[in-house]
Amino acid sequence: MNARETAWRLFANELNGSTTSLKGDEEMSPFYVVTRLGAVVNRVLIAGVLTEKENMGSDEEPLWRGRIQDVSGSFFINVGKFQPEAAAAMADLEAPCFIAVVGKVRTYNADDGRVFVSVRPETVVEIDESVRKQWILSAAQSLWSRLIRMKKAIAISSTSEKELIDAGFTEEEAKGIDIALNQYGTPESSTYIKIIQDALRMLLPDNNIDFGFPEDVGPDEIDIEPVQNVAERQDMEDAVLRIIIELDHDGKGAPRDEVEREAEAEGISANELEEISDTLMDKGLIYEPDLRRLKHIPY
Amino acid sequence: MNDEELTPHFEELKRVLQGKVDDSEIMNELKRYVNDFHIAPDAAKRGILRKYGALESTPFQTTVVKQIDDLTGNEQSVDLLVRAVYVEERDITVRGSPKTIISGIVGDGSGTASFTVWEKQNTKMEKGSVYWLRNAYTKTWNDRVQINIGNRGSIESAEGETVDVPDRVITMEASECKIGEITSGMSNVTVTGRILSTEERNVMVKDEPKTVYSGMIADDTGKIQYSAWENFELKEGETVCIKNGYIRSWRGIPQLNIGERAEISRVDDTFGTLPDGAVTKSIGEIVRTGGGIDINIVGTIVDVRRGSGLIERCPECNRSIFNGECQSHGKVEPVLDLRLKLTVDDGTGAVSAIVNRELTEVLTGTTLGAAEGLAKAKGSIEPVASEMAQKIIIKRVSMTGNVLSDDYGPMMIVKEAAIVEEDVTAEAEKLLKTVEESI
Repeated sequence: MNARETAWRLFANELNGSTTSLKGDEEMSPFYVVTRLGAVVNRVLIAGVLTEKENMGSDEEPLWRGRIQDVSGSFFINVGKFQPEAAAAMADLEAPCFIAVVGKVRTYNADDGRVFVSVRPETVVEIDESVRKQWILSAAQSLWSRLIRMKKAIAISSTSEKELIDAGFTEEEAKGIDIALNQYGTPESSTYIKIIQDALRMLLPDNNIDFGFPEDVGPDEIDIEPVQNVAERQDMEDAVLRIIIELDHDGKGAPRDEVEREAEAEGISANELEEISDTLMDKGLIYEPDLRRLKHIPY
Repeated sequence: MNDEELTPHFEELKRVLQGKVDDSEIMNELKRYVNDFHIAPDAAKRGILRKYGALESTPFQTTVVKQIDDLTGNEQSVDLLVRAVYVEERDITVRGSPKTIISGIVGDGSGTASFTVWEKQNTKMEKGSVYWLRNAYTKTWNDRVQINIGNRGSIESAEGETVDVPDRVITMEASECKIGEITSGMSNVTVTGRILSTEERNVMVKDEPKTVYSGMIADDTGKIQYSAWENFELKEGETVCIKNGYIRSWRGIPQLNIGERAEISRVDDTFGTLPDGAVTKSIGEIVRTGGGIDINIVGTIVDVRRGSGLIERCPECNRSIFNGECQSHGKVEPVLDLRLKLTVDDGTGAVSAIVNRELTEVLTGTTLGAAEGLAKAKGSIEPVASEMAQKIIIKRVSMTGNVLSDDYGPMMIVKEAAIVEEDVTAEAEKLLKTVEESI
């Protein structure tokens, strides 16, 4: 059956972490990437802040590149002449704005062996904040259900496709989990639970959600790094955000060097500032209009 | 290549052809292939051997003989010795032209499978007779293998051969199942449900008048249409257990047939209040089960497809037409109508949804009158579709209707539709609770 491919709601982190792809033998058979949590993905529905767009082609034959930030990282999209409607929509958009994209995933293998995942949009639409929140919720729910499935699969002694199907997984789930475990090994669940935490914090800002992870420490370092004071960290983030808003005199963003000076005056070192601005970018609160500036994304 | 270079190839051909072909002819052929057509010697030799019938297997495909139970659904060319269990001829339309096909069920000692002969020509098949199906190919549909005989295939009578189709293969023990779990691929089932409606219809079967007793039956998981040739005196509101019913599907919608071997008993009703109206399903579930009646889905509109917006219909046959030209009725004065062909996706699967004018007006806020006005102003009907698309794309909808299935997946004929907003905060809190409880 040639049923239309499902549009997966996936966070950038899970999509971009995929290095394994699948393609059938037949000429027209679809292309899939397999994520570390076993999602077998051909089409995605993604949403976030369009932070950058650039026309790499010409006015007559545009080739739009765009970067869309969600709570976990950035999606990269490429829109060419074969997607005229999406290209027209890209031309009209002004970064930053909330957008949703339905499109097909593509991978690109760099010379050094790294794999880059991008999305080739079929539909690009500007959305409002309620739709964006709706998407974050679906992506978080979807991620959670994959984490639970993975946990269930790992609990079964053997995880061949057949045994997974016998254990009640659908054929599609079993195939994805089998490939993921073979290619990537057991996934680091704390990475994904932290993404869910960030998503829920955005959806429920008043709930003081804390799943007990040290803030902004990579999963590998969790055991080594001393637990940071969460409240102090939050204060620093608030301070940096305030500085960025204050120093944005002309609406083009706050000059980085000025932010640095101001932050230092408040006792935030250059290294800490770097980390905090990364965090703020990951949260979709700020973006870089260019390399020398930081700009607040107003909601 | 000069003669000297060709000699070893020539010798090889001569050896294989064992004097069946003249030496000079072999050499001429070899020169034609290699020197005139620039074919590499190996390919040239193979071509020459094929020409003189000295290659045994065809290079394209090898036909194998298999039993039905061994079929995988990927056979390109397979021979089967079978008994026809059920045969019917059907008239279908392929790209506008009428065509007769033969379909039914064949069986051998290992099992049964459905088959289709796509090029009938002079083929005659009779129930109970034994045949060789030659050069058949197979596909799977709903996890069942289907045998196809296309224009390369043929049907040969195999009179004298015996093929026993064991009874048990055809009359599998009926499995007890919930109505919501019935899929179009099932055969025998036993279900318990409440009769929602009854209907009697008189039809002609082979010039004989017959009565069909049909209606709806439901349990707490869903509802299904039933039909029987015999009057079991089913009454609305009573709860029955139907043993050994069988499932036939019409365009992916399973229907419960109560045949000769079925047994019906009245049982106590344990359902209480049945879900009112439609049953909500995930689209992934619908993709797996095929289709059904009165199904509700909630998902995101991810595509507004071609054929949406303001369309023209033929005043005679109501089919959608282009530029006032109907395929059956020629030049006509078109009737304008609104329609949406959507793709709705909930993250578990995608379904096509066909929305009529009334609901299109509700979803898009654009009336037929307004759409006609816009088309007139723009000088084309096309802007209507893009205007409508902008209003509904990426919106969350709840839709209810009957779902059919074909090769392109499930399709809902929408009866109710509304844009819905989810209570994101409440759902996020639910997720938060679940996550907190399990870490």
